[in-house]
Amino acid sequence: MNFVSDLRLALRALSINKARTFLTMLGIVIGVAVVILVVAIGLGASKSVADQINSLGTNLLTVRQGPRRIRLTAVGRAGSGSQAANRLTVQDARVIGQLFPETISAVAPQVRGNVQVRLAGVDTSSSVVGTTPEYVSVNNAPVSLGRFFNSFENEGSVRVCVLGQALCEKLTGSRLTDLTGRTILVNRNSFLVIGILAPKGAASFGPDPDDVVVVPLTVAMERVLGTSRLDQIGVSCVTPEVMPLAQQQINALLRIRHHLRPPFPESDDFQVMSQTDLLTRSQSVAQTMTMMLTAVAVISLVVGGIGIMNIMLVSVTERTREIGIRKAVGATPRDILLQFLIEASIIAMIGGLVGVVLGVGSSALLAKIAGWETVISPIALVLALVVSAGVGLFFGIYPASKASRLNPIQALRYE
Amino acid sequence: MEVAEEDQVDAHADASATGPLLRLRGITKIYQMGEQELLALDCVDLDIESGEFVAVTGASGSGKSTLMNIVGCLDVPDAGSYQLDGVEVATLDEYELAAIRNRKIGFVFQGFNLLARTTALENVEVPLIYGRRSNRTELAQQALQRVGLGDRLEHRPSELSGGQQQRVAIARAIVTEPSIILADEPTGNLASLQSEEIMQIFQQLNDDGATILMVTHEQDIARHCKRQVAMRDGRIIEDQPITERLRASEMIARMREPLPGSAGRR
Repeated sequence: MNFVSDLRLALRALSINKARTFLTMLGIVIGVAVVILVVAIGLGASKSVADQINSLGTNLLTVRQGPRRIRLTAVGRAGSGSQAANRLTVQDARVIGQLFPETISAVAPQVRGNVQVRLAGVDTSSSVVGTTPEYVSVNNAPVSLGRFFNSFENEGSVRVCVLGQALCEKLTGSRLTDLTGRTILVNRNSFLVIGILAPKGAASFGPDPDDVVVVPLTVAMERVLGTSRLDQIGVSCVTPEVMPLAQQQINALLRIRHHLRPPFPESDDFQVMSQTDLLTRSQSVAQTMTMMLTAVAVISLVVGGIGIMNIMLVSVTERTREIGIRKAVGATPRDILLQFLIEASIIAMIGGLVGVVLGVGSSALLAKIAGWETVISPIALVLALVVSAGVGLFFGIYPASKASRLNPIQALRYE
Repeated sequence: MEVAEEDQVDAHADASATGPLLRLRGITKIYQMGEQELLALDCVDLDIESGEFVAVTGASGSGKSTLMNIVGCLDVPDAGSYQLDGVEVATLDEYELAAIRNRKIGFVFQGFNLLARTTALENVEVPLIYGRRSNRTELAQQALQRVGLGDRLEHRPSELSGGQQQRVAIARAIVTEPSIILADEPTGNLASLQSEEIMQIFQQLNDDGATILMVTHEQDIARHCKRQVAMRDGRIIEDQPITERLRASEMIARMREPLPGSAGRR
């Protein structure tokens, strides 16, 4: 029997009971669509996290205060998980920047905090970064308008600031308003705006990196936030290759400066992270989510397959007599097996195709309406189709072999 | 693999085409009915030559249907030898039996057994499809013309009368030009005029050289054949030529005579 007549036969059999075929197909449609949608969202999330972190610069190491520790109190109950005491100082940053010229090209000490920003009666909350002029190169944050403050302004505690575009929008209603030369209030301290940062692009996760006001480190520490400790130190390495060495050097230096005792890294009150560390950390979260959701979607695909098996079993019973007739006129068991297998595969494959269209469509819709970044991977499409055809074959084989093994005499007598 | 099987079957056929078309020796079939054993066929011997028209008669349970199933290669005997066209059939496997059914046997059933929602033409094409034959439409059209349904090619079974459905079934049986046509109570579901029309087709086919083996319990139908084999309790109790053979064409002519008086005159 040639393939075209096989296909025609199967399509006719399926068209006899259209509603049933459609409902059976629906299981596969939903399964495939959800798989594609979930993978698209997952990949989109990973990509936007990667973009965000890469926008900071690839040679960047970040020194932060130590990881969270749980300390047991004397009574034995777990105390509130508290941060290790923050002991990063401006002096630390300076020494790091001076001691390893062969690996480290620049450091940008930073303090961060939330502040109230005010311009001509418009009040909004934003975040402040206090840092040195090295911030521009270390954190890959060029200005698009005006200029960044220089080291004289930093050391002289001059009250100037650079704004992110998202903050401009919050203050004036437009990202493109030129605020240079205007004076804004940051926590009631007046600052002269001298530049606007180039946009980094909106992030899917965490705060908007463009919603920021950057001020000289000294002013931020003394006047705005009132702190003597740094929140983090951005360290720019000479090349990506020397980053592990630089990481070791910073570790060794800070352990001595902070008078820490082994064991390391358990007793460290700081941590040095590369962009890769950050990337893998955030991506592993996204990946775990994607994996879990994909598992759920795959289960629904399997359930769809069981639906196919169920309907094919019913169909074999209904068509027992037809099978008997076909066998009487010379159909071999293989012919019958193929007939039912093709029917099951057609349900699965058409379901898979519709599912792909639906999945791609809803990902696009989601990207447009909710603004989520989605990435359709061709591998996911091919895989979804192959898997759905495989589901059809796998769950079709039992009913089909049952049909092929029917005794023709009994099948002909079946009412 | 499949091609090899076919070649083998054909080779057998050519080697010993001289004997009878159908040769059954000591065919025995036992059905297991729970604890009891039912001897459906008890050492049946039967030879059928090419061109014969044989009626197998007997009460229900006499074993005639079982004989039919074994002759039709739908079932295999528990003991005995069955040669069709010189090929020993009793030992063939499922795939070889399917090939024999496809090429050497044409079935006509009591209940017509056409595929529903499928046109007459497509029904007749089905054996050709499984036989991987080319120019199927042409062959199927010719077969339907031979049974007088040349103008009903695209009708579905539900759009045809019982007699017409049975004629489609006959067309399906003859389309592969089988060695033997097996008819199991072909007129059992039909009124007498339609029965005669079916018998007329069978007689015409037989006149054209077809070998026909027919199961029936109606003596009137059996008398259309050339030879009658009577069965009881799984054995052949009588095997003789039919002397006063009925011609279906005459019967039809007589049935169509309008006057009741003229019918009484004969």
